[in-house]
Amino acid sequence: MIGINRISKSFGTFEALSEFSLDVKQGEFITLLGPSGCGKTTLLKIISGFLAPTTGTISINGEDVTNVPAESRDTALCFQSYALFPHLSVLENLEFGLKQKKIQRDERNKRVEDVATKLGLNVQLDKLPNQLSGGQQQRVSLGRALVMRPSIILFDEPLSNLDAKLRDQVRVEIRRIQQDYGLTSIYVTHDQSEALAMSDRIAVLNSGKIVQVDTPEQLYASPRTRFVADFIGGANLMTGRIVEQNASGNASIETSLGPMQANKGAADFGSEVSLSWRPERAQVGAGPYMGKIVHRAFQGQFTDLLVEGNDLSFRIQTSDDIYRVGDTIQFSLNHDDVVLLEDEA
Amino acid sequence: MIARKWLLVLALLTPGLGLILLLIGMVVYIAIAQSFGFYALRGDSAFSTEFWSEVLGRKLFSKAVRYSIYVGVWSAVLSIALAYPLAIWLRKPFPGSIGIGAILKAPLLVHGLVAAFLFINVISYNGLLNQAMQGLGIWSEPRRLQNDSNAIGVLLLQTWKNMPFALLLLAGAVQSISEDVLDAARDMGAGSWARFRKVIAPLTVSGMQAAMVIIFIGALADFTFQTTVGPTNLQSMAQLMVSFKVRGDWHSAAVVGVSLMIIALVGSAVLAVVARAVMRGRIR
Repeated sequence: MIGINRISKSFGTFEALSEFSLDVKQGEFITLLGPSGCGKTTLLKIISGFLAPTTGTISINGEDVTNVPAESRDTALCFQSYALFPHLSVLENLEFGLKQKKIQRDERNKRVEDVATKLGLNVQLDKLPNQLSGGQQQRVSLGRALVMRPSIILFDEPLSNLDAKLRDQVRVEIRRIQQDYGLTSIYVTHDQSEALAMSDRIAVLNSGKIVQVDTPEQLYASPRTRFVADFIGGANLMTGRIVEQNASGNASIETSLGPMQANKGAADFGSEVSLSWRPERAQVGAGPYMGKIVHRAFQGQFTDLLVEGNDLSFRIQTSDDIYRVGDTIQFSLNHDDVVLLEDEA
Repeated sequence: MIARKWLLVLALLTPGLGLILLLIGMVVYIAIAQSFGFYALRGDSAFSTEFWSEVLGRKLFSKAVRYSIYVGVWSAVLSIALAYPLAIWLRKPFPGSIGIGAILKAPLLVHGLVAAFLFINVISYNGLLNQAMQGLGIWSEPRRLQNDSNAIGVLLLQTWKNMPFALLLLAGAVQSISEDVLDAARDMGAGSWARFRKVIAPLTVSGMQAAMVIIFIGALADFTFQTTVGPTNLQSMAQLMVSFKVRGDWHSAAVVGVSLMIIALVGSAVLAVVARAVMRGRIR
């Protein structure tokens, strides 16, 4: 459906994207996730045609569109700033692209009505954008893209200007509409919770390169590198040495916290390894590991504990709200929850 | 408290606004009064409409009105037509854009009279243009370009002088349009012309109106360019007014002056309304 083939983009001496390749399937919702400046918006602008890549090609439905101008591409972009036309009413905003593409009036009316109904914009059609709330403006922006019925819809951090509650609401709406229309979508965000909640697959970017592409579940459970483990869900990271391995593929790792068991992966016996485990995977109460609680943050459904032990600092999340600062805590980890990480290089 | 607040506002406004209103009021009052026979510098001062009926009945006056409107409208339209693409081009900074912008605004620093004389040097019978055309073998002999009957020279000078001013106003207006909005239009399939017509023009209509009205008023009352490079068979209203005054006919000069003010006022309003209507797509 979308083929991103070895795309590189440089701005002077700064390389924003380096040999970036990714295939997106028909109807798939894929998220480009990464910190600010990692190249995700640059990639989105290359796909939509606003930027030309330094090298590499973009193909849509098997056709090379690298040199096709933005106005001629079958894509629609939802902007972070909404980018509504301030001098046009909601109706005129929705119709803008359809008129450009010279869609017949009947068909135009049908599409606008359909989308306006789906997005609850019927009563806002005569209003100007500055008379709408942020959430309504976001819906108009989404509607303006949806009426075009593009092959691909691109989202550039569309929820970043909304408050937390509205963000959750619009997030669900976007996903529902994407599924209803069967749209192939590329979604850019730096918010890992947004990416995990919405995506079929997530591509994690760092410094203009793909670090890992996986389903949200896989990405969360089995991060490949320290960067991914830390960026997605804030895992506890530590180093250790493989001291034993058994026939079933498990390895014993000597760490500052104590010996740990993990699936061995590609690491060799005796080698220094990085490993991660999720704060909520710690089974608190008893176990071989212990530490002293130095900070406690009640989060509603769980309590976030910052624990120090054996010159290490790590986080533990527990649903038992019985622990206080200064308490010593004991916990264990299942070997499936300890993940050996690949070398970043 | 409210009275004190209003007194303060009045005190703050008086030096600026008061002076402007006083001077404008005096000029307008004297001109109108003089056009009706008052404030005669020679002879009796008494109410009379004879100066109005006499001046309005003269062919010279109606030709001057038509000519001045022609120069005013075309100067404004040409200045804006040239300034728009430049404003769009210079919207995003690029290497050299500051230098180009400064050069384009240079005519603002050159006095109109100096510009007119420089222009004469270029287009005169033995001027640079004639020499160049002959040197290139395009023309076999020099041509008479000065004081052309269609006032092309005046329009060229007016445009040269006023385009930077239009550029100043339009550049600000164009730069205030968000890059995302233009990208969104492009994403929706709008090419360059559609982006200009449907997004840039409507969003900069206020700046365009201001430029058009100010240039129109200035060009309508042109005297300098008209007397130096304008056609010899036509007079602008300002020229006609001065010629009446030189003859000592202050009342007729006042009639032309008041007419000029009325035309400037009505013309500006018409231009502003038409410009807005065209830019908003109300008139196809």
